[in-house]
Amino acid sequence: MMAGCQAAAHAINAAGGVLTDKIKCQGFDTRGDPADAVTAANQMVATTSNLLGVLGPSSDEANATAPLINAASIPMFADTGQASFDHTSLKYFWRLLPADDVKGYAMALYAISKHYLRAAAVFGNDLGSQSDLPTLLKAYRQLGGKMVVTQQIALGQPSYRTEVEQLLAAKPQVIFTEASPQADATYLSELNQLGHLVPIIGTDATIQPQWLSAVAGAVGKNTLAKYFVAEQPYAPATGPSWQVYQANLMKSGVSKPAQWSTDSYSMSDYDAVTIMALAAAMAKSTNPAAYNKLIPEVTNPSPGAVIVHSFAQGLAAIRAGHKISYVGAAGIIDFNQWHNSTGGFEIAAYLPNGNLKLVTGITAAQIAPLIK
Amino acid sequence: MFLQTVGFGIVTASILALAAVGFTVQFSVTNILNLAYGDVMTASAFVAYVSATAGLNPWIGMITGGIFGSLFSYLLNRFVYTPFIRRGSKLFVMIIVTISMSLILQNVMQIIWGPNFFTVPIPAGSSVRFLGMIFTTSQIVIIAVAVAAMLGLHSLLTFTKLGKAMRATATDPELARNCGIRTKRITDLAWLLSGLLCGLGGVALVIDLGSFQSTTGGEFLVPIIAAAILGGVGQPYGAMLGALVIGMATEMAALVINPEYKEVVAFGLLIVMLLIRPQGLLAEVASQKEVAA
Amino acid sequence: MSTAWSFYLSTVMVYLGVNVMACLGLNLQYGFTGILNFSFIVYQAAGAYTAAVLTLGPHTAAMSFQRYIGGWSLPFPIPILAGGAVGGALAAAVGWIALRRLRGDYQAMVFLVVSLIATSVATNDVGLFNGSAGLSVIPKPLSGVVGMSLVGYQWFYVGITAIFCLLVYIVVRRITSSPLSRSLRAVRDHEQAAAALGKNVAALRMVSFVVGGVIAGISGAVLVGFISAWSPGAWLYPETFVFFTALIVGGTARNAGAALGALLVPVIFLESTRFLPQFGPPGLIDALQWVAIGLMALVFLWFWPRGVLPERRRIIALPTLRKESEREGAQA
Repeated sequence: MMAGCQAAAHAINAAGGVLTDKIKCQGFDTRGDPADAVTAANQMVATTSNLLGVLGPSSDEANATAPLINAASIPMFADTGQASFDHTSLKYFWRLLPADDVKGYAMALYAISKHYLRAAAVFGNDLGSQSDLPTLLKAYRQLGGKMVVTQQIALGQPSYRTEVEQLLAAKPQVIFTEASPQADATYLSELNQLGHLVPIIGTDATIQPQWLSAVAGAVGKNTLAKYFVAEQPYAPATGPSWQVYQANLMKSGVSKPAQWSTDSYSMSDYDAVTIMALAAAMAKSTNPAAYNKLIPEVTNPSPGAVIVHSFAQGLAAIRAGHKISYVGAAGIIDFNQWHNSTGGFEIAAYLPNGNLKLVTGITAAQIAPLIK
Repeated sequence: MFLQTVGFGIVTASILALAAVGFTVQFSVTNILNLAYGDVMTASAFVAYVSATAGLNPWIGMITGGIFGSLFSYLLNRFVYTPFIRRGSKLFVMIIVTISMSLILQNVMQIIWGPNFFTVPIPAGSSVRFLGMIFTTSQIVIIAVAVAAMLGLHSLLTFTKLGKAMRATATDPELARNCGIRTKRITDLAWLLSGLLCGLGGVALVIDLGSFQSTTGGEFLVPIIAAAILGGVGQPYGAMLGALVIGMATEMAALVINPEYKEVVAFGLLIVMLLIRPQGLLAEVASQKEVAA
Repeated sequence: MSTAWSFYLSTVMVYLGVNVMACLGLNLQYGFTGILNFSFIVYQAAGAYTAAVLTLGPHTAAMSFQRYIGGWSLPFPIPILAGGAVGGALAAAVGWIALRRLRGDYQAMVFLVVSLIATSVATNDVGLFNGSAGLSVIPKPLSGVVGMSLVGYQWFYVGITAIFCLLVYIVVRRITSSPLSRSLRAVRDHEQAAAALGKNVAALRMVSFVVGGVIAGISGAVLVGFISAWSPGAWLYPETFVFFTALIVGGTARNAGAALGALLVPVIFLESTRFLPQFGPPGLIDALQWVAIGLMALVFLWFWPRGVLPERRRIIALPTLRKESEREGAQA
């Protein structure tokens, strides 16, 4: 989260700042528990002056803190996939990431495109898994696939051998999964021992470094690379906006910047800060009450808007009196009436060297017919 | 399918037996309910991990982990628990002391290792089929270690003077002291011995899991406690039996009921047990110790 | 005072009230009766979930993003009182299993397991209280009625919390200053002696356990009405340990000690660390904080085992008796 913010701050400050004010990134640890997060959020609002906006809150505590941040009239670019925000009425809530429940559609579409018609779903019962699974089941059935076994596994167990045997008996061609790193590592290594792995399609939670290191450690890097892909929000790591992001990231002073180059979450954080800065520039005020409503004005494509790829370009266009449409490092941004901008997805494969490789993209247009 | 599930139950039971027997010996001889037990298991696993990544044979890692568990448990008692007891801390204060140590250990490991996952690099080896059950080589080694440890403990407790002194101390420390048993030395030995089982159990657990992190051992405390209580706290043989019951029951639950409810089934067994026979399955000595007041 | 600070301070005040209630309840169980209830937070959670499903309203389309049992919109203060009732009922059920015939350390083990399993059930059984995502958009009590500004409502809620805190204090105070408290302490200090004097040890423990459960339930219900969200992440078992540390620091078996502990540990200590500059990778400060809480408990148990406000001595021991008890202590 800091990486994307720092990169954006570097770009904005190099272009003179927001109305001469420099941008600074500050982290607030909400400690992931709703009760703690409420005081953390209130304390953040109380002790920070000149708050331009917030990157977050993230999944676990978002339901508790988003209303507070909204009440304080501070724009937030949430990091949560919770479906409760799909039709939110919070004025200061914005989301550049797809909701968790949409991910299931992307996974189903990819599986069918590979002609996997018999599938198994192995999901832990933690937060993300809970929201992805229902839509996955629905979409996969709709597309003609057959879910031969659906397992909600208890996390933190010493073994899942019995579950693995049940899965093997059902002979799936592909496994959809999202569970804790520990649970999936144990499950998949036991699957590898007792029978054989089949292709695995994970949610974006499974391409987090922790999951990859746990599972690669348990089944071996080469084995994982052979079978594993995962969906994540589409952020192609190409194009002019991404190049600006990449250049600023490298100069931002973040430690080991290269690891964030292709990270879609860092890109959307970068985009979020850039958007707020552009909206403030357009409103000629860093007061959120003034610039919050201009946020869609600087992003959403509209006739006659100048397409811009960076803060500097956008600033120049605004000064010249043009309408603008900022294209993010992670792609086109188009907020709907509920302040959500859901882009497409990509399917990424794991490489034995630990990096990820783009396999294919799945557009929002492909998903739209399934959502009905 | 049924036989295979039995086989899986045996693997889980072996790990659980190592851990639960150590736990129960610690409690019976020293009278301290050491809630930091699971975290010492994790610490031992980290030692095994470090020694394996330093180039030692991973199976040697099991031995270094076991030795670490042994020494660490001894030191924990020597420098934390015993001083508190000397200071006159009561039974329930001691439990708070051990749970404080649990939190401290777990979070110190979190500070050192972060929230990341680690793997003790042991190849699972080829699968062996036996009476309709499937085991990997590493699982067979784990079962063998557990069986050897249980037989060793049995011989120690039954045939040696030391073992008899240990049992005597467990049953009635004052009487044992009056009979000329040096209970302090026996207590030290009990910590070393139970710590060894704790360390071995920790390494066996993470080898079987495939990967682990700083909270892994602490999370395993529920089945350990369930097995120990089921067998009657302070009863090594009871804990072995408890481990077998819990190991089988959780795997069967996954087969017959629903994998989500593995833990809950272990817990259900525990409650039924507490209601009908709170002193545990094997309870001769336990009743003398007034475990059930 | 700026609005933001007013928001923050009122939040801290509500938390203080909730923590004081919880510590008074736990003190009744631990300090006065000697029950090591490591599952205390579970009864708080039960109260919170109860109040939540009694205010969330029926499960309509607007609520489709979360699943829960029941679903009513009962007026204040029924959900909070019901939260207390459910906390008490749950405590009665757990107490019936664990308290009857088990020795204290055995009980502690069972309570710890209860806490871990309760988290597991609430997480696994998504249909109950929406699993690990937890419940959210829980309506705030009377928020539609009083028609205040947001900050005004914050302070209004401080008032609600204060009222419940006072009620809890009155009830606890009545128990701890009555002859019943002597019986409870007798059970704590000398179980066999108490039994020999004809005290029904099991029943006395049960009373204290259930009253503690009711208080925990009320504290949870008040808390959830304020934060309007509740999930398993909010009630993991170490949270109970924070309350224990509060009692150890403040002083067990004394209501003022429990209240002081609630102020010092969960409020002042945990809040003050928020003002430290952020450093290290995510999770580091959190881990350091837990280490500090553990060390705090150990340091107090070592140097000031009776806490800042020690239990008042009620018996003047005869000189000879005291010597004997000292010798006993030295031997143990």
